Amino acid sequence: MTRPTQKEIKAIADVAGVPASADDAARIANSIGPAFEGFAAVGGTLPFDLEPASFLLVQAATPRKAAK
Amino acid sequence: MNVHRKTTEPALLSLTSVAKAIAEKRLSSREVTQSCLDRIAQWQPRLNAFMAIETEAALAAADAADARLSKGNSGGALHGVPLAHKDMYYDAGKVVTCGSKIRRDFVATTTSTALQRLKDAGTIRLGSLQMAEFAYGPTGHNAHYGAVHNPFALDHITGGSSSGSGSAVAARLTFAALGSDTGGSIRMPAHFCGVTGLKTTWGRISRAGAMPLSQSLDTVGPLARTSEDCALLLGLMAGADPEDPTAITGPVPDYMAATREPIKGLSIGVPTAFYVDDLDPEVAGILDQTIAVLKREGAAIVQVELPDQRQLAAACQLVLATEAAAFHKRWLIERSDDYGAQVLMRLQNGLAIPGVTYIEALRWRGPALAAHLAAVAGVDAVLAPVAPVAAPTIAESDVGNSPDAESVIQRLTRFTRPINYLGLPSLSIPAGFTRNGLPVGMQLIGRSFDEAALLRIGAAFQRATDFHAREPK
Repeated sequence: MTRPTQKEIKAIADVAGVPASADDAARIANSIGPAFEGFAAVGGTLPFDLEPASFLLVQAATPRKAAK
Repeated sequence: MNVHRKTTEPALLSLTSVAKAIAEKRLSSREVTQSCLDRIAQWQPRLNAFMAIETEAALAAADAADARLSKGNSGGALHGVPLAHKDMYYDAGKVVTCGSKIRRDFVATTTSTALQRLKDAGTIRLGSLQMAEFAYGPTGHNAHYGAVHNPFALDHITGGSSSGSGSAVAARLTFAALGSDTGGSIRMPAHFCGVTGLKTTWGRISRAGAMPLSQSLDTVGPLARTSEDCALLLGLMAGADPEDPTAITGPVPDYMAATREPIKGLSIGVPTAFYVDDLDPEVAGILDQTIAVLKREGAAIVQVELPDQRQLAAACQLVLATEAAAFHKRWLIERSDDYGAQVLMRLQNGLAIPGVTYIEALRWRGPALAAHLAAVAGVDAVLAPVAPVAAPTIAESDVGNSPDAESVIQRLTRFTRPINYLGLPSLSIPAGFTRNGLPVGMQLIGRSFDEAALLRIGAAFQRATDFHAREPK
């Protein structure tokens, strides 16, 4: 996963219905780019049968450390 | 050291103490409310912590509370206690600005569940507290209403987004305040302002009637002077709510009882990396001192190796930015000129994130939480700094929408965002002061829904130290 370019961001924003100027797109690319890089090692690696709701299952099943 | 000391100024008492004093008729609600209002009049011109101050209404409500109590009718555990909250909790009939120009005149038609539960316990309203615009900023700047000032050093930031909550609790203008924490917005002002702040587990307290920022990450919680006060408030607010299906069902633990338990025999983990990297030397020293106190109190301190926290922080940013942009899309189209420059830029960030990336960030949450829980399986809590530095100045952190704005923001919040992504509870406690007199907080990070362990450790730490009891002058 690579950070989106200014040109790509402008196109995505247009499709989203919230057009961004060239300056805005450049600022957004600079601002959000590091998040794409930080997540790059995870993106595209997740197993098929993994739903977002698995978070709730893990949360609900959290074991409590035995009280001392 | 305990803050339940004798004092001639009621506003200086802790929440727990003042509630007891009113219940036992040692103080009237009017005396307490007037004391808070006197301090507000004294401090507000310097702090800008309040959005609205409702003097006459607060005194009238205090008189009514006193009249009820004189007839033997107590309204609940916080009968007659005056409070003010972050201006994003809907209160029917009241203006709720959300720190924004767009909602400058918005009048709520419902009351948030968290706020209603505190009202049901007998609290009265002092007014409302300043905040970052739409709770989207960690410093305490606000393009529309001005920066909130740190009571311990007026030219320094409070942290955000619960900026007014941190400032007002620290200056003893309110006994406690609701904040909200989506990426660090309770813990940052608690750390910078020297108060105790509880970010609750995602799902622990209903978010109904609280302004949304990111539905997957938003949490409601208190800022107060002590862990005991946070425990009292959490116990009143937690629990199922038909208005918010994400609020968990089941019994609410006795958090106050937890604060009375010693910590001998508990294990506290200290991360070997990330949270101890690139710390300001004074923050690093205070972390060491905190470890020493907890050891003296009987806790076992062990090292823990956590999964890659940078990936968690990045995933948090992707989820937060996308969901915030979706909430704000209509106003981004119709009223973009009415946002402050930095908030507009950060909302626009969400436009750049493809749907597949957003869903991947949500899908990874379960495995990421499981990996974290496995890494901390042997400890009751993890101890870490809230931020790598104490409060910077208002001037140096006023970065607007400049090219390096996001990197400044991300650096400040790098120790808080991973916890939001995992939905875990975290208690920020005052842990020391820099040589320049700036507060420094440490966070205790727990397991899902195990706020009791954090409050227990926080209370034990506060019995052994007095950082939480120090007042700004």
